[in-house]
Amino acid sequence: MLTTRRRVMTVAAAVLGGSLLVTACGGSDGGGSADGKTLKLWHYEGADSAMGAAWNEAIKEFEAKHPGVKVKFEEKGFEQIQKTAPMILNSSDAPDLMEYNKGNATAGQLSKQGLLTDLSAEVTKRGWDKTLSAGVATTSKYDTNGVMGSGKWYGVPNYAEYTMVYYNKDLFKKYGVAEPKTFDELTAAMDKFVAKGVTPLANAGAEYMAQQYLYQLALSKADRSWVDKYELYKGKNDFHDPAWTYAATTFADWVKKGYISKKSTSTKAEDAGVSWIQGKTPILFSGSWWYGRFQSEAKFDWDSGLWPGSDLTLGSGGNLWVVPKNAKNKELAYDFIDITMSKKIQNILGNKGGVPVAADTSAITDPKSKELISDFNTVGKRDGLAFYPDWPVNGFYDVLVSETQKLITGSEKPDAYLSNLQQAYDKGVPQQ
Amino acid sequence: MTVTVERGARTGGGQPHAGPRRPRTRDSYALFLLPGFLAFTAIIIVPFLMNTGVSFTEWQGIGTPKWTGLANYRDLLDDSEFWASFRHSLFMVVAMAAVPTVVGLVLAAALFDYIGKHFGSKVAAVLRACFYLPQVLPIAVAGIVWSWILAPDNGSLNELLKAVGLGSWQQDWLGDPDIALYSVMGVMVWVQIGFPLVVFMAGLQRVDPQLHEAAELDGAGWWRRFWHITLPQIRPEIYVVLTWCTIAALKVFGAVYVLTKGGPGGATDVPSYFSFTTFFEKTQVGYGAAISTILTVIILALSLILLKLQTRSEEGDRA
Repeated sequence: MLTTRRRVMTVAAAVLGGSLLVTACGGSDGGGSADGKTLKLWHYEGADSAMGAAWNEAIKEFEAKHPGVKVKFEEKGFEQIQKTAPMILNSSDAPDLMEYNKGNATAGQLSKQGLLTDLSAEVTKRGWDKTLSAGVATTSKYDTNGVMGSGKWYGVPNYAEYTMVYYNKDLFKKYGVAEPKTFDELTAAMDKFVAKGVTPLANAGAEYMAQQYLYQLALSKADRSWVDKYELYKGKNDFHDPAWTYAATTFADWVKKGYISKKSTSTKAEDAGVSWIQGKTPILFSGSWWYGRFQSEAKFDWDSGLWPGSDLTLGSGGNLWVVPKNAKNKELAYDFIDITMSKKIQNILGNKGGVPVAADTSAITDPKSKELISDFNTVGKRDGLAFYPDWPVNGFYDVLVSETQKLITGSEKPDAYLSNLQQAYDKGVPQQ
Repeated sequence: MTVTVERGARTGGGQPHAGPRRPRTRDSYALFLLPGFLAFTAIIIVPFLMNTGVSFTEWQGIGTPKWTGLANYRDLLDDSEFWASFRHSLFMVVAMAAVPTVVGLVLAAALFDYIGKHFGSKVAAVLRACFYLPQVLPIAVAGIVWSWILAPDNGSLNELLKAVGLGSWQQDWLGDPDIALYSVMGVMVWVQIGFPLVVFMAGLQRVDPQLHEAAELDGAGWWRRFWHITLPQIRPEIYVVLTWCTIAALKVFGAVYVLTKGGPGGATDVPSYFSFTTFFEKTQVGYGAAISTILTVIILALSLILLKLQTRSEEGDRA
């Protein structure tokens, strides 16, 4: 038997050990303090990206304008924020300002759950609503159901993004293929490449790229009301309508014809981008998020342009600055957003290959960047931003990846593909 | 270690105990288990019970969960993706438990009996370390390396096949739904093989060499000795390895996440990854919790069955 003293000691040690183990699972130092001396900032842009460079400059400017205030920047991963945001924002660890994904399934959901600060008053006061075009602002506003496009402002984007076709001009020259200006010319060019044993389109079946090809094909047969139906639930979305049917059958046909490699099912977006940078594929259809990297890494003559024969293309306002409900230094967060919307920061973003939302166009000196912004303005003028296919429903991204992989491998026919999308969409669509 | 002695008894210093020692009671041992039990409760039992509670609700991870009773479990029964993921789990059991156990046994015996005796124990130790290396590598690193090896274009494996004139054998190893699961299985065999090997080699150290010598004198060949002496002698290790590896196979997540993300078209989806995507991507937290609850119950049941078998076998040996 243990003596009483020893028993007490043992139990105390056990409890202490147990509690230490339990607390070891706990988190960090908690959130920032509401002392007005620290701005706790999270974002997930690479330091060498357009946004990363612009925001680094914004941090310096913020600290210069706010003597005695320190920006406590914590670099996060995209996945990290995507997967854990709801839990973190619900805790006292929430940052003061954070970059977050736009769309119903992400920012919309957080706003619906009351985890984000309503920025409407601040947006009006600081004039951000005047700066942002209607198309770009769509993803900043969410209604009580978390559906974008109307309601209160829960986020502010600094940049925009859209998709385009990237052409490797050297490869076009090498194989004697003319750069296409129309959709028919595009398919004719792809036929020529296939005839010469070259797979014309870079693709990534394991990630977003494949579904974006397909959505773009649908958009080429669609209009704004079709997009509103699909993305904003304004009416019943039918996956067996002419636009979706055309997209699925054309995509499957393109795989059969060899425009898209059957072996691209397990390819990731990074691999597809790199294959284009290495000059292995002549054409890549993807977003402006590649632009800066291509500017610095592509060692050949290249060009880009909007998808031929379509007024609509994938794109939207960029990811949002959001202010968590539990943020302790909201005023500082608003000041920081204001700095990122300034001409100086916006011009940096534009010259680094990003698509600024409030730049002084005459200050954009880089010719390639000028071209990028000019194409974006073209899309803006025709109200052509059609968002992304995975936005309407939580988890739809995975469904699209998985089903499109089946379409590439031929294990699923277009009709079954569309039926499966319909089923997942209907199951997940928010009840209005 | 704390010892209990009569008041006035001398202890320590390697000296013999002066007074008679009281036998330990179960209570005093229980105290030593308390820290571990507290940690186990905090880290395993409480979250498991919470997870089970969540599985009876419809919840997006934030806000108020809505009680739905057994609805998630009923939905699971009709969910073909869920059943497919469990079928794939059985393939993983083959790749991570059955094959490594058999191959590990043969390799361990070969290293111990042949390599060790003919080339020295150092060579055997080096080879054992080489086989064990994949167990030490983080699965994320191993997965990325394997995805390069198995890449359809310019992947090392396809390039190698082309170089040796077997170009027609080239495959989209991780992208073809008919072979992706087998490719992942192959990677898992490579990852897993070192563990049984090391355990079995340790077990072989226990086997009395005189048994082998006597059998050899009686004219038994290597294979007969392996079958009739080695295998029965290291049966406890075999049970441990099978239990451990089967549980690992049912829980497998990292390799699938890094190599295929369950694709193409769900061809390599496994319950833990399915649960993860349901939980985080679809934010169907209640449904995801139901999947992981079922997975936990299955793993627990299987572990108990294997432990029971092991106990029965040991009792049979003693009888």
